[in-house]
Amino acid sequence: MIDSYIPIFIIFVFAVGFGIVMVKFSSLFGPSRPNKEKLSTYESGIDPVGTAHERFSIKFYMVAVLFILFDIEVVFLYPWAAAFLNFEPVKMVYSFISVIVFIIILLVGYLYVIKKGALKWD
Amino acid sequence: MIDINYYLLTSAVLFSIGVAGVLIRRNAIVIFMCIELMLNSINLTLVAFSAFLGSISGQIFVFIVMTVAAAEAAVGLAIVIALFRNKESVNIDEINILKW
Amino acid sequence: MTIDQFLLMKNEILLIAIAVIVLIIDLMTDNKKILFPVMIILFIFTTVIGFIYQTDGELFGGMYRSTPLINMMKNILNTGVLIILLQSAGWLINKAENHENIGGFCFILISSLAGMCFMISSGDFLMFYLGLELATIPIAALVAYEKMKFLSAEAGTKFILSAVLSSGILLYGISILYGTNGSILFKDLNNSVEITNLQALAFIFILSGIAFKISLVPFHLWTADVYEGAPVNITSFLSSISKAASVFILLILLFTVFINFSEIWNELLVYLSILTMTIGNLFAIRQQNLKRFLAFSSIAQAGFIPLGFIGGTSLGASTVLYFLLIYVFSNLGAFGVVSVVTSATGKESMNDYNGFYKTNRGLSIVMMLSLFSLAGIPPVAGFFSKFFLFTIAAKQGYYFLLFIAVINATISLYYYLLVVKAMFINENEQPIEKITSDVYAKLGLAICVLGIVFTGLFGIIFDYINTLSKGI
Repeated sequence: MIDSYIPIFIIFVFAVGFGIVMVKFSSLFGPSRPNKEKLSTYESGIDPVGTAHERFSIKFYMVAVLFILFDIEVVFLYPWAAAFLNFEPVKMVYSFISVIVFIIILLVGYLYVIKKGALKWD
Repeated sequence: MIDINYYLLTSAVLFSIGVAGVLIRRNAIVIFMCIELMLNSINLTLVAFSAFLGSISGQIFVFIVMTVAAAEAAVGLAIVIALFRNKESVNIDEINILKW
Repeated sequence: MTIDQFLLMKNEILLIAIAVIVLIIDLMTDNKKILFPVMIILFIFTTVIGFIYQTDGELFGGMYRSTPLINMMKNILNTGVLIILLQSAGWLINKAENHENIGGFCFILISSLAGMCFMISSGDFLMFYLGLELATIPIAALVAYEKMKFLSAEAGTKFILSAVLSSGILLYGISILYGTNGSILFKDLNNSVEITNLQALAFIFILSGIAFKISLVPFHLWTADVYEGAPVNITSFLSSISKAASVFILLILLFTVFINFSEIWNELLVYLSILTMTIGNLFAIRQQNLKRFLAFSSIAQAGFIPLGFIGGTSLGASTVLYFLLIYVFSNLGAFGVVSVVTSATGKESMNDYNGFYKTNRGLSIVMMLSLFSLAGIPPVAGFFSKFFLFTIAAKQGYYFLLFIAVINATISLYYYLLVVKAMFINENEQPIEKITSDVYAKLGLAICVLGIVFTGLFGIIFDYINTLSKGI
């Protein structure tokens, strides 16, 4: 039972230990000669502008919320699609109609979102 | 095959962490994350039981719970935006106009 | 699956169809005022169909049940929501800033009602949970509906955080129950649930999740804040319709799934009932805001309901349903008056109502009847429903509980009469000016008054409910 997982646990310990040891050793024994250029955020890239704690526009938020809602519908469609071909014909028609009704309701919601201008970027 | 008790223990611990987070944390967004953690720990319980009992209804329940969690998050975040517009803060200690 | 079987779900299908039609009309037209009468007509149609076309049976292998008692409850809910829609007309149509959102408001309200209908006719925990969430999440959106008002947003945040927490705890209870019994169907659980530690834990989780929706006392802390912050019509929706639906599903769960637990829940409900009545009353006495006052009084009212559960008799079930019927009418009557006054003048404080009778006779008489019914004064219906509840507790021999309940009924009489006194006797130099309410609000209040007066006078209504409740 749980005993069979002991090798995995040992490997886990080794992996973590190896990582820590390597990082520590290189900072202990390696030469350290910092200068301003090396300490900047993107050493050979563009100089950063402003701070990282800036507020995002509300538009990102709206799109994110709508994405959560319309993304999750796949949870229902995927099992239906996977099982569809195994149904007997009567059940096929029945389940197809059910899914169409489901999609229509979602579609009305989607049209409502567009009409209200929630996806307008400007 | 791992004993079902380990799954149940894990999910009970996660659920408790979620409840404790809801009760202790002060940021509305973090509270939503904790509630999400609670719901996912319940999903773990349901799936574990479903595998243990060999019955499919637990897994179907998980689908429904996932959808409901998404809907809750969407409505909850929208309300938090409305709150933030009015108050410029999501700290629930500062939301205290209504009290007895 | 044939068409006949789908007709069992006619109420839910019609409600969802109305909701989608409302959204489509909202997309097509720019004149949003048209939407409201169309929706009222569709909704009246649904309500009437619910009354004349009764069916019973099962769908989806017992996931969805429909019995005469459940149909009766759906009719009560439909009528209540119809009254609320009529009352909210003034708030929606007369205020220009709300025109844009009429469609959204109606859509959300009706989907919440559809969720409640699915919840009360559920035959297993999956349908129950889905219905519960479909009923709860839209309410959160409605509570935060006036999104530019800070109070509304604050109330919405409080509601959704506590609602989601409570439904999470309820869901954990369901998952334990599923694991220990191997099924989520009510009729399977009915035989297999027995008192073990784990199942008792599951029962407590589920009970506390539903008690949160009914706002029984240890779980009531969200109630007053949310009721005050929400728009008036939503407050009335929360305090009557949502509460009635949750009470009904609690009744079904206790009487079917948890019938083997009856010793445990009898005792628990006695404590919950005593706490709820007492604390609700004590806080109601000191409220000055009328909306908040009605909120606490509705907590106290919910405390009387568990009296009917005790013993688990079918007579108790029909008494609870009868109480809910009258409670919906009286509570909506009181809130209707508050809603008319608030949308016309914006005044909510108790002192503003001094001398209300001088200027607004009709409204103050409606208010008086509703408050009398809530308090349980003999000629109106509220007396009978409370009296029947007390009889149930007395028959089972819970005299201590009965004693507390009678004391609390007396205390509640005091504060209800305080409002009546303010309206009829107190003097005021600047009473609220004459309010002319619109047709919709008048119709809504008229339905309430008819309900309050006639449900009590005709004993046949109680007998009818009693014949239905034989097969829960």
